[in-house]
Amino acid sequence: MLLNIFRQKSLGVSVVIFFLLLITPAIIPKFYTYILAVIFVTALLAMSLNMLVGHGGLFQFHHAVFYGVGAYTAGLILVKTSWPWYIAFAAGPVAAALIGFVIGIFCVRLNRLYFGMLQISLGSLVWAIAFRWYDMTGGDDGIHGIPMPEFISSLKSSYYFVLIVSGICIVLMYLIYKSPFGSTLQAIRDNPERCAAVGINVKRHQLMGIVVATFFAGVAGVLFVTVEGSIFPDLMFWVLSLEVFIMCLLGGWFTFGGPILGATAIVSLRTFVGTYTEYWTLILGVILILLIFFLPDGIMGYNYREKIRSWSAGRAVRDMK
Amino acid sequence: MLCVEKLKKSFGDFKAVNGAYLTVEKGQIVAVIGPNGAGKTTLFNLITGQLQSDSGSIVFNDENINKLPPYKICRKGIARSFQIANIFPRLPVFRNVQVSVLSQQKLSNKLFHPASQMAVEETNHILESVGLLDKKFDVAGSLSHGDKRALEVAIALGNEPELLILDEPTAGMSPEETTATMSLIQTLADKQGLTILFCEHDMEVVFNVAQSIMVMQQGHTIIQGAPEEVRQSSEVQKAYLGGA
Amino acid sequence: MGYELALINPQLEPCKLSIGQATMETSQAITLAALGSHLLVGLSRAMILFIVTSGLSFVLGVLRVPNVAHGSLFMIGAFAAHSIAGALGGGSIGFWSALFLAPLVVAAISLITERLLFCHLYEREHLMLLLFTFALMLILGDLTKMTFGAAYRSIIAPKILQGSISIFGSPFPKYNLFLLIVGPVVAIGLWLFSSKTKIGKIARAAAVDREMVGAIGINVSWVFAFAFVLGCFLAGLGGALVSPTISVTIGMDHNVIIEAFLIVTIGGLGNMWGAMVGSLIFGITQSFGILLWPQFAIVFPYAAVVIILTLKPTGMLKSVW
Repeated sequence: MLLNIFRQKSLGVSVVIFFLLLITPAIIPKFYTYILAVIFVTALLAMSLNMLVGHGGLFQFHHAVFYGVGAYTAGLILVKTSWPWYIAFAAGPVAAALIGFVIGIFCVRLNRLYFGMLQISLGSLVWAIAFRWYDMTGGDDGIHGIPMPEFISSLKSSYYFVLIVSGICIVLMYLIYKSPFGSTLQAIRDNPERCAAVGINVKRHQLMGIVVATFFAGVAGVLFVTVEGSIFPDLMFWVLSLEVFIMCLLGGWFTFGGPILGATAIVSLRTFVGTYTEYWTLILGVILILLIFFLPDGIMGYNYREKIRSWSAGRAVRDMK
Repeated sequence: MLCVEKLKKSFGDFKAVNGAYLTVEKGQIVAVIGPNGAGKTTLFNLITGQLQSDSGSIVFNDENINKLPPYKICRKGIARSFQIANIFPRLPVFRNVQVSVLSQQKLSNKLFHPASQMAVEETNHILESVGLLDKKFDVAGSLSHGDKRALEVAIALGNEPELLILDEPTAGMSPEETTATMSLIQTLADKQGLTILFCEHDMEVVFNVAQSIMVMQQGHTIIQGAPEEVRQSSEVQKAYLGGA
Repeated sequence: MGYELALINPQLEPCKLSIGQATMETSQAITLAALGSHLLVGLSRAMILFIVTSGLSFVLGVLRVPNVAHGSLFMIGAFAAHSIAGALGGGSIGFWSALFLAPLVVAAISLITERLLFCHLYEREHLMLLLFTFALMLILGDLTKMTFGAAYRSIIAPKILQGSISIFGSPFPKYNLFLLIVGPVVAIGLWLFSSKTKIGKIARAAAVDREMVGAIGINVSWVFAFAFVLGCFLAGLGGALVSPTISVTIGMDHNVIIEAFLIVTIGGLGNMWGAMVGSLIFGITQSFGILLWPQFAIVFPYAAVVIILTLKPTGMLKSVW
């Protein structure tokens, strides 16, 4: 029964890409392997954000906080305690979801604009604590050289680890997208008043969505630590949140896989631009302006609109049982 | 089944509802009529929880539902359609109705099952009863006005309500569409045993279909009774015709 | 019986005072003098916050968009003030000219941005306007870095505002006293403007019902332009005013916008008096934070915000819309 969902063209393409990604470390230079790993982590983060922004219509403006919390939790446990790695890796997403729940409770009581503004502010508090608590978190410098368990201590092995874990997460997110939960979340995005009128507890549903999405953001944070081996406050800085938001917008936030495209584009661009200038933020701002003016639905959104048109025309006839 | 008494709601100085009384018996078709601005939609909003009343009581099946939020009122068995089409424009028609069916079956929170295979029969059944089955994959935003109104009702039906409240169901419809909609309402009442409360401007429609009519003016109830009673009432005539 | 309260150095040691015939032991360093002095500092900080936040609130009220770039304009105001003062030889003339000219520079920048780009987005959904201000923040941040570099800089206050006078037995900078006067003056000025002048009333009407304002023949686009420029002017004024008190540097934009967001949220969106109340609460709690727990002083205003929002999610005063 599960297979029914997968009878789509895009799945075939995804599987092919997945296998390609499995063999790439053997054939490309180390640096690109590293970049790909970073892309996977960022793509997972962007997908988790889109669950709330694109599918849920929430103004989740400071998603990076949960990413950072996941990374810091895992990193700190590995460095400061002698607990095994799987505790650290499991604690990351759980902590992220917990913080997500707490911040979510405050934000969800407010409407869209307030939600975003408050989240930026509360998230910045978490950042400020990490930034100033030198003894615990390394403050401004962060902590580097975090010890990884044997099986993922090399770049290649951490690459595979990240690829597999983020792949699993994306599959899970797809199932959620197609589930009643995801369907209801999208309905809430389109018309929260009507959802309430049909018996849905809108705030509770949104809060659940936030917990799920921040959990995945926490996973992304843990994966980041396995790739980089360090943690630093920039992971929770709201410019990063904005960057991830732009990735969703760029890729097309009403589609499922759009953010992956957006993440790939932005990370690649950032790496490329970084070799020429330190003013990446400026370029990012210009990209955002171009997007706003010319591609409001993102790259994939453009295709999506066409798809809907042909879909409605052909499908209606085909599906008369 | 539903009993509204002494209901009041003001917006600042403006008394939108100022002493409304309404009784709906199980299995009835009840209509609320009144000139524009009489407070009919406000009354409905108060009943279904979109607005909070200032004073008065709303009792449904012996339970006081006055201060409950909309989603809890819905779960008690009241569903409603809105005057201005309040649908999910980006989702296909099928999903529009499925949302309320899933909510009714308490399946909205299922995380890992494919929604496309849940509640399919019930949703198709409802779509068929309002005549939208052939359009079920169309994006809701692209429907015609009449179809959108039908979808409105369909979404409300997804909640398997005991009491169905329709806010001006034939607004903006042609005579044919109006007749079709009213016969649909009649069918729903007869076949599925629904209790129906609606408000309307079109007098023909109301007097043909309703078993009990409540007349509102300037926020308060003038009278409620059988169609003949209302037709003869001098107060109603004064309100509508200025004492003819 | 009179006592003399000596200002105790915050060394957290018990010490004995002999006062007349009584001997008193104080355990902590918190005396009435220190409290009063911190209170006044908090109030003067609050005045700067108010001036900046009132601009943000005004734009939010009329355009219904929180201008994320507001902090950047504040920062540009500070940098511009420094440059202008420097160009005019420092000293009194430099300062007063900077105070007058820097906000005008910022207003000019905002006008250009608004007429060239922003005004084309008024018909779009709010999220696009918001994202535009994000992009603006990114761009202005880097442009400022490019123009002025990352070094710290500061202005010297003019002679008459230098030094301090004694209040509550402790030194209170004269400049802060100046701020305590300027703040309410700006507040009253704004209030008079929005309630007594024609433009002010039109702006307030546009906040509540822009279609109506358009329908009676007023060019809504120019109303928005005006509101936006006025808001940014206030940001620039805040930046110019703050420049003698802190080191002007890159990153000022981030800090101030987060604080301004918090203040606007607890004060009530678009409400100028809300901005005043919020700023006072913020400034005072922050001062007490510095007194009681310097490393994490930031937690105090946040705690206040959390309490306020738990009790009144939409802010203390009514939002404009």
